[in-house]
Order: sequence, then structure tokens, then C-alpha cells
Amino acid sequence: MSDTSLVRLTLNGRSTTVVCQVRELLSDVLRHQLATRGVHVGCEHGVCGSCTVLVNGKTARSCLMLAAQGDGCDVQTVESLADGDDLHALQKAFSENHALQCGFCTPGFLMIAHELLTENPTPTEQEVRERMSANLCRCTGYEGIVQAVLSVARNAVSEDAARERDPR
Amino acid sequence: MTNAKSAQQPWAPSRQQDIRLLTGTAQFIDDIDPPGTLHLAMVRSPLAHAIIKGIRTDEALRMPGVHAVLTGEELVRYAGAQPVVWEHIPNQQPVTARAMAVDRVRYVGRIVAAVAAETRALAEDAAELVEVDYEPLDVVSTVEQALAPGAPLLHPEWGTNVFGSQHYTTGDPAAAWDEAEVKVRGTLRVGRQFGAPLETRGCVATWDRHSDELELWISAQSPNRVREFIGQVFNKPLHSIRVRVPALGGGFGTKADFYGEEVITCLMAWLTGRPVKYIEDRLESFVASAHAREQILDMELGADRDGRIRCLRGRVTAALGGEIGSTGMGPAWLGAIMMPGPYKIPNISVEIRGVVTNRSPYGAYRGWGQPKGNFAMERMMDKLAVELGLDPAEIRRRNFVASDQFPHFNGMLPTYDSGRYAECLDLCLAEIEARGWRQQVAAARDGDVAKGIGLAFYVESTAAGPSRGMNALGLDQSGFDEEWVRMDSTGRVTVYTGHTDMGQGIETALADVVVAELGLRSRSDVTVTWGDTATCPYTGYGTGGSRAGALAGAAVKQAAGALRRKILQVAADLLEADPSDLVLADGRVTVRGNPTTGCTLAEVGFAAYRQVVRLKEGTDPTLEGRAVFDPPAQAYSYGCAAALVEVDRATGRVRVLQYLMSHDCGTVLNPMIVEGQLRGGSMQAIAGALYERIVYDDNGQILTTTFMDYAVPTALEIPPIDLVHMETPSPVIPGGMKGVGEAGVIPGGAAIASAVDDALGRDRTFVTELPITAEHVFWMAESRH
Repeated sequence: MSDTSLVRLTLNGRSTTVVCQVRELLSDVLRHQLATRGVHVGCEHGVCGSCTVLVNGKTARSCLMLAAQGDGCDVQTVESLADGDDLHALQKAFSENHALQCGFCTPGFLMIAHELLTENPTPTEQEVRERMSANLCRCTGYEGIVQAVLSVARNAVSEDAARERDPR
Repeated sequence: MTNAKSAQQPWAPSRQQDIRLLTGTAQFIDDIDPPGTLHLAMVRSPLAHAIIKGIRTDEALRMPGVHAVLTGEELVRYAGAQPVVWEHIPNQQPVTARAMAVDRVRYVGRIVAAVAAETRALAEDAAELVEVDYEPLDVVSTVEQALAPGAPLLHPEWGTNVFGSQHYTTGDPAAAWDEAEVKVRGTLRVGRQFGAPLETRGCVATWDRHSDELELWISAQSPNRVREFIGQVFNKPLHSIRVRVPALGGGFGTKADFYGEEVITCLMAWLTGRPVKYIEDRLESFVASAHAREQILDMELGADRDGRIRCLRGRVTAALGGEIGSTGMGPAWLGAIMMPGPYKIPNISVEIRGVVTNRSPYGAYRGWGQPKGNFAMERMMDKLAVELGLDPAEIRRRNFVASDQFPHFNGMLPTYDSGRYAECLDLCLAEIEARGWRQQVAAARDGDVAKGIGLAFYVESTAAGPSRGMNALGLDQSGFDEEWVRMDSTGRVTVYTGHTDMGQGIETALADVVVAELGLRSRSDVTVTWGDTATCPYTGYGTGGSRAGALAGAAVKQAAGALRRKILQVAADLLEADPSDLVLADGRVTVRGNPTTGCTLAEVGFAAYRQVVRLKEGTDPTLEGRAVFDPPAQAYSYGCAAALVEVDRATGRVRVLQYLMSHDCGTVLNPMIVEGQLRGGSMQAIAGALYERIVYDDNGQILTTTFMDYAVPTALEIPPIDLVHMETPSPVIPGGMKGVGEAGVIPGGAAIASAVDDALGRDRTFVTELPITAEHVFWMAESRH
């Protein structure tokens, strides 16, 4: 059996092929070969969540996946969130709510928050806390993170309501 | 590029570094990748105490892709002893530890060899091929074992396991104790914990053998100090050492200490002729990053019947590790000398001891001793209140230093600059009332899940510290801070600082100072450059000790003031006016009373750099201000934390339901950052009170080496943390700022312990140990019936 493997994946919308060691973690290949350095490795045992990415639309700990398991997958990292020059609403809300200090955990929190709001655009505070409890932050005390996610949800709801009132 | 969007107000981040961090482009240490980098893996001791009989490295060296294997025997030919910053205890033992073990290991995780290879994975493979022959020795796992008669000696040449001790006395504590009308005693314990920044430590070294130039990138809080120590260890002049710091994924003191890994990485770069990178992995972090907190505090308080404290007698014993870290026993010392807190205590006798055990080295973690001293003192205040039948708030109030009694010598060593303690306590109490906590407690009084309220008052040592004071104490360290502020030819401003932004946001706080001082339009006109000893000025002690905001804030204010005078001189030339008639505001210089006559800062910058001909002969075109600030004294912040907890009598589980702090850290530079510091510190206080503990077994084996065993709390454990502000400028710092970085973490343990007592009944329950475990609470709840 070869100790290298050829991995074809879609990374942030772009088709990519990479040759890697079969034992290499997805997190390491994303960071060191594919230059998505926003994937942060905080524990390498799946607890802290700093390395969280979306694999086929679902969050995954990239430190708990082999790169070879990413073959054929659609992978999104924090680098995919901004739309050109425009930051994603979650990115802006994190800054506005002081939801980051050192920022090492931030990419992972953004990805789980993004998934949560995609699945459930109007979460309760408890639902946000439960989902955010998947990841660790050592700086903020979490309140800013929870408020940031809730504020994006609120704004989306009020924009929807505005569109209903004025469908132009 | 702003033209297309200039019509609408652009979105601006709350802090300077936020956009880099939110988009994933910030560079952390593992993102530093010079071409040709080799990777290090460490061989670490699996035994807590053993003699190294031999190390075989040949098999590892033969492995393809391996460039070097380093052992202690070779390291000592190049590297001297690891430095100890805090060499201030008069009788402390000399430290000769090297960056890796030479003949003996004294804790699990001690480095015995290092492997440099083409990849980290190869280095780890090769590390497994290094064979170490150990002769096990008897293990000293606890302080009690270390102090027992006939205990195995970790450092036989010392003749004892006591690293150092110091005794502070004021007044006549023996007589005061004899005469005290009310006496309370207690032994308090705090478990072993550590800072656990989410980004582990790491460094990348390039050391050219021909030019002898060494460049070290390191995830550390104090680049100047790292440079001093690397020079000291290698006996190398400093001009050829450049230390750089990228974005830090948290510091918390963990990255203030100086470690063996940075020495080994530099040496490996020299030996291999290649850049070398070391990134600590999470498992290693539990044995290799500084441990902290673990102490035993024996306390006695004597008081009058009206509750006024007559004397404090105590003995603080810190469980140091097998080797002495760069902080020595400094944290235990600071915790002890801050123990009197906000109280007037005429007679004091406190002994501080550091005892070595076969555990990982002891060092810095936010609070630096103060959470333990506070826990012990505030617990005893609660006990005194119960003894006297007084309310916990009332016993504190009766002993406060009054606001007109400053400067106040606290009886140990510190002299506090200022404080309005009683008002701060009242703010906290008013908030407790407003939130209806007491009604909640009453309603739950006889339920299965009881509730309780606890509070703790603290004084925080900040703005460390006058250089001469540090030297007088015995440290070869300074406490001054130098800052440079420069305006460029586009009228924008760059601050060059020796401080480090480890996430606390000092970039933003210093930018705010410049905006105010120079009348700039917005913070986006300021860049704060840091993390490079080649281009940034010296700050004596580095970033820690809650000093950056106060000291760098004061120095930047002065430097910006000097720049302001130069700007006005250049503008005066351009406007043919007198500098004293000019006003600097909103990014423009205008003539007082005639706002239409003026010029922009960009015009001032362009003239000074590129059209000097427009200036008068003799005008200095250098748009730069420099200032050095050495504080005349330290500034002391203070506050009161309160916790509302619930205690499940059936399981012993404790949860913090609500948490608040009233506090005063002097003039606030940036309210959002101050709140962030207090919330983050409070979270670490709750973590230390209820969740986190490094556990060792009797063989000195560490049992907690992952985030599955060491329970860093999540968003479900940490409640919203509410803050009530007071702002009393410090008289010793220009601008009035005091530090705030460690405030949150200091009082939380005592407040939560007090709340558990309250829930179960103060007459029956007295929590003596942190972290508070469910098992312990369960037995305390049981004993009630």
C-alpha cells in the first residue's frame, strides 16, 4: 500500500488536488499545503474546536479527519465567509460584540455559528449557548460570542420582516 | 481604494486586529515558515524522578530525514543555566537547571533529548527511537511528602526540599494574637492549574553560523526579556539577536515565562544550519507549560469583638515543581504580600515557603499568586463574620482602609496609591439587591437545590513596577517603558511599542491614546507596531503584571504630546502662524478662532518629509515623539466580585447562576477592552473555582493531559458576567490609569466558595479548597442532616 494518497477536494469553491501522506490530518494539509491558515490547531484531539471547518456543509473537526477522508468532499474554511471585501454578518457581529480577544478560537466559533444559523435562523439564547459549548474560548467568557450570534439572527429576522412589508 | 465606497460610512471593527483574526489572515507562530525549516520533537521523561544512566541516539540519527539529535550532555557545551527572573528571596537556592535534563529528571515531561527532522511527523517517529536508560528514584509527589522527615531530596546538594523562604513581620503579632478577643484559624488549599492558552507555545529560530545573527520568532509576551535571556544563556551579545513575536493565541502569563524549548530551538538551528521550528502539542502543554496556583495557606486572624482585625498570622507554602522555572517562587510571594488586601491590619506575621515536588515547574498564570492570597484572606474574613454574627459585607466594611488614608502601607511590602473601597462595596451590594438575589436565595432555602450569595473584595497589584524598586528587591529587571510615536508623510501615525498584544487589545488601547492626544479623526489612522526587538523600543518587564495599559498608556501619551508639539511647529511654518495659536482637532491644524484657516495632518506630513523647503530654517522636520516612563510607584486597582450559585444537595453539583463585579481601575482608556479583561478574568476565576485541576498520582504521574480530563469551561458553564464601573484616577500614573488584566481572576474563587457556604448554611459549611468538587460539596451537604 502506498503511503501517499491523491486527494481531490473542493476548497472554498475551488477544485483542488493535493498529494499527501496517508497519515496526515486534514487540519495539517489545509494549513500547510493548501494555505488556509485560518484553520487553527489548538488541541489535536477534537475538544477545542479551533480547527472546525464545514465538510459537505456540516461542521467537522479537521484535526480528527485524515486528509484522505476529504477526498471528493466540499470543504469550507473561515476564509470562505467574507464575500469579496464585505465581511460576513457574523464576522462583523463578532467584532461589534467583542466576541474575540486573542482570536485563535474565532475561526472555529464562526464556523459552528454559521452552521447553527443555517439550520436554525432564529435560535434561542439557550440554543446558541448549547451549540457554542462545542468549542473552547479561553479569553472572552463567551457572552460576547453568544450575543454576536443572537444579533445576527435578530437582524436577519428584521430584514425578512422588512422585505415582507416592502417586497421590492 | 476607498473612492468607490466613500459615500457611505464604512464599517469599522471594534479593535485594530479584529479583521485579521476574523478572516483567518493573522499570523500565529505556526504560520511562520522560513524556507528549509526543520521541525523539532522532544523526547520527554516518562518518569517523575530518575537518574539518566545513558541515552542512545544512533538509531534515531540513522533515520532518513533526521538532521540532529540533541541531548543534555551536548547542550551544556553551548548553553548555560536557565535564568530565574525572580531571584529575590534572600535565601533561595541557586538554580543550575539547563534547558534539558543532563543527568537527572525531576518531573514527568522533562526534556531529555530533542530531534530535528524534515517534518514534525518524522521527528516524532525518530524521537521514539531514542532510548533512554533510567534508574528510578523515590518520588516526592506532594508538599507533605517533600517536607516529611527523611524525604527523598530532589536536589541533594540543597540538603532540603525547601527552595526558599521569607518572613514578613509588622507590629507585634505574637502579643496581638494573645490579646485578640476573637480568633479564627483555617488551612486553605488551592489546586494545581495552568493558563492553557488555546494556542500552545512555539518558536522558530534561524541562527546563521557565519554571521552569528540569530533571529527567534516566539509566541511569548516579552520579546525584550527573551532576547536578554537568550543572550545570557548562550553568553552572546544582544546586538546580533533579534526576537520577533507574531499574533499570540493567548498569553495568560503562561507565555511570560522563559522555557528550555526556546534555548533548544536556537541551538538546533545553529547545529543544523537550518531554520528550526518547535510547536508544543497539547499533550506536551500539560507537562511543559508553567503550572501554577497550587498552594497550602495556614491562616490565623485575631480581632476585637467589634470585628476590627488586630493581627494576621499565616504561612504560605507553594508546591513548586522539580525544576525551578523563570519565576522562581515569585507568584507565591506576590500572593502573600497582597494578602492584607483592602484591610487595615496593624500586626502581621507571614511566612512564605517554596517546596519542590516531582511535578512540572511552577510559574506564571494570570493573577500571579494573588488569587490564592485573596482566597485565603477572604475566606478568613467570612469565618470571622460567622464567629461574630456579622454580615460578610459588614466585617469587610469595618476594616477597610478609608479613602483619605492613602498612600497606605499594607503591612507587608506594598504601599497602595488610592482607593474608595467602601463605595465600591456599596455599588456591588446595590446591584445584588437590584437583581433580587436575596429573594432567590430565600425562595430556595429549603429546596433540593439551594442557592447562595458570596462576595469577595480584592486589591490588584498593577503597573509593575518602579525600576529601582525591582532592583532593590533583588531583580535584575527594569519596570520602565519606552514608546515611540511617529507621523508619516500621509499624516497617519505609527506607535512602536515593546509591549505585546496577546489578545487583550493593547494595540487598540494605545491607538485610542494617540487619537485623543493628536486629535485624529479615527483609530484607523493609527497603526501600532510591536513584537520586534530590532524595530521596537525596550520595555523593562514585558507585558504582564497588569502593566501595559497603565505604563505604555502613560508613555504613549507623553510621546504623542512630544509629536504634537512638532506637528504644531511644522504647521505654524506652513500657516505662517505662531504654534501657540494653533488648534489640533479632527485631523486638521487650524488657527484658533478661525477654523477655515488651516491645513490637514497629511499636508503637515507631506511638507515635513518631502517639502522641507516650506519649513523655516531650523525647524526640526522629524515628526516623532519618544518618551520613557518609569512609574514612581505602583497603582492598585480594586473591586468586589459577587456570585449567585446553586448547589444540588443530592449530587453536590455547583453552578454559578449569575456573577457580577464592581471595580475601579482608574482612568479607562477603552471601556470595551476593560470589560473584556474583567469578563475573561472572571471566567478563569470560575474555571479555577469549580472545574480545572491538574491531577498527579502518588508516582508523580500526571493524570490530566487532555482537554477531556482538564475541564476548561464552555459557554454552558459560564454565566453572563455583569460589571459596575467606578473611575478614580491613580495619583501616580500620568493619565490616571491603573491595570486591569488580572483583576477578574483574583476574587472569583473566594466569592464562589462563600456562595457555597451561604447556600448550605454558613454556620455549618466552610469551603477550604479550590477547585470545589461535587464530591466535597456532597459530603458537606450531607453533614447538615
